[in-house]
Amino acid sequence: MKKMWLIGVNTFRESIRKKTLYIILIFALIVIGASKLFSFLTAEEELKMIKDVSFSAIEFFGALIAIFASLAAISTEIERRTIYTLLTKPIRRSDFVIGKFFGVSMIIFVNFILATAFFIGLLIFKKSPPNMDVFKTLLLIFFELILIGGITLALGTFTSDAFNIICSFFLYIVGHLTSYGKQLIERTENIIVKGLADMLYTLVPNYENFNIRDKIVVGLNVSWGYVGYTIAYGILYMCVALFIALYFFEKREI
Amino acid sequence: MRRKGYKYFLAIVLCFVGIHLVQIQIDYRKKLENLESALVLMPGQVAGSLILGGFKGLAADLLWLQMESYWHSGQHYKILPLLQAISWLQPSYILVWTIGGWHMAYNIYAEVKTPEEKQYWYEQGIKFLKKGLSYPFNANKYDIYFELGWTYYHKGKDYPNAVKYLEKAIKYPHPDYVDDVLAHAYEKNGQIDKAIKQWEFVRDNYVGFFDVATRMINDLKTKGKATP
Repeated sequence: MKKMWLIGVNTFRESIRKKTLYIILIFALIVIGASKLFSFLTAEEELKMIKDVSFSAIEFFGALIAIFASLAAISTEIERRTIYTLLTKPIRRSDFVIGKFFGVSMIIFVNFILATAFFIGLLIFKKSPPNMDVFKTLLLIFFELILIGGITLALGTFTSDAFNIICSFFLYIVGHLTSYGKQLIERTENIIVKGLADMLYTLVPNYENFNIRDKIVVGLNVSWGYVGYTIAYGILYMCVALFIALYFFEKREI
Repeated sequence: MRRKGYKYFLAIVLCFVGIHLVQIQIDYRKKLENLESALVLMPGQVAGSLILGGFKGLAADLLWLQMESYWHSGQHYKILPLLQAISWLQPSYILVWTIGGWHMAYNIYAEVKTPEEKQYWYEQGIKFLKKGLSYPFNANKYDIYFELGWTYYHKGKDYPNAVKYLEKAIKYPHPDYVDDVLAHAYEKNGQIDKAIKQWEFVRDNYVGFFDVATRMINDLKTKGKATP
């Protein structure tokens, strides 16, 4: 456990030295701050736009940070050949992969907290302090980002960086469209197609589960039960990503 | 290594079984809590949705800003496709339905010349509002019921329908003026007893309406008519 923690902390330290992540974070803060420019609208419309823009910015830029941080986590070690030194020490490959996942999660967490604090500050400034629904939305966005990071890390154990980026973005888009795909599945009468599509519906990460912001900004309620199941979904999918990462990293010849 | 590979494979399969079961629960709760996306994808819309990904709300906001700009420049007809697009992207945004219905039944109505055209846009406004009500998450709020009731009452002089929708509006949390309009609608619909009862309710519950409600009750009791 201590080894995993040390690898995680080291990954975090390495990442915070990278300027790319700061630039993405600054962009996120600018976009969130810019939502204040909607003051020419009525109070209700303005608040909706602030929330829409902020949630979207936290998620989108958070996803960029998750993908780029995870992408670099393993491949940089291989490129710099530091991994050879590491693996000669009494460190199991599984400790290395899980440690890297911890490190990436820490980076995502810190960036997420900074963007969220800025957003909450903006809401308080607008005299509309966040309610529990805002926190539910943020909680699900955070788990989505961690899942994106986990999947990118898993892909990084057996693909090149370029292919990993394409795959991660592709999964990000497709993962948000699975709910619509399900509507089409329900209309299909061919049993084989339906079966295959149902299987795909389970296999592809359903990021749309985590997306409740469209409902929250217009005042609809989301139960803790839904939030709980979605978090359970996220954790299970993270386990899948980690098992895939462990399998391929242990098989890899280094 | 091979044995370890089987272990991972088994763990992944078990996780997917769990994911499948949890997803069934999530889908059930989405239906229960009206969290499902109301978007129905048509072949031509897939590309647009692909670009939007999970950012439908943001796209709706950008269109709303565009609508504001058309509004301020008096380009009323250009607002119509934007209203349709926003209501498609975010049907739970109740303001798009109420403003859209009002825009058609009042603004466009005022802009067209012939009575046939006016009747057409009045009906379009009503139709748009009713479409908004067809979404279950909008049907348990007063907003669209009130807008329908008001449009029937004020623009259409269709008092039976006005009463029907205003009565539905007051079943949900609502501001005081909804009760006030319902009292007027009862009177115009010839339901004087109900109008008096409704004014008594308004008088007893809303301090700001005390004088008006008292005067209305007196007029209705003495003259049988209160609303000009």
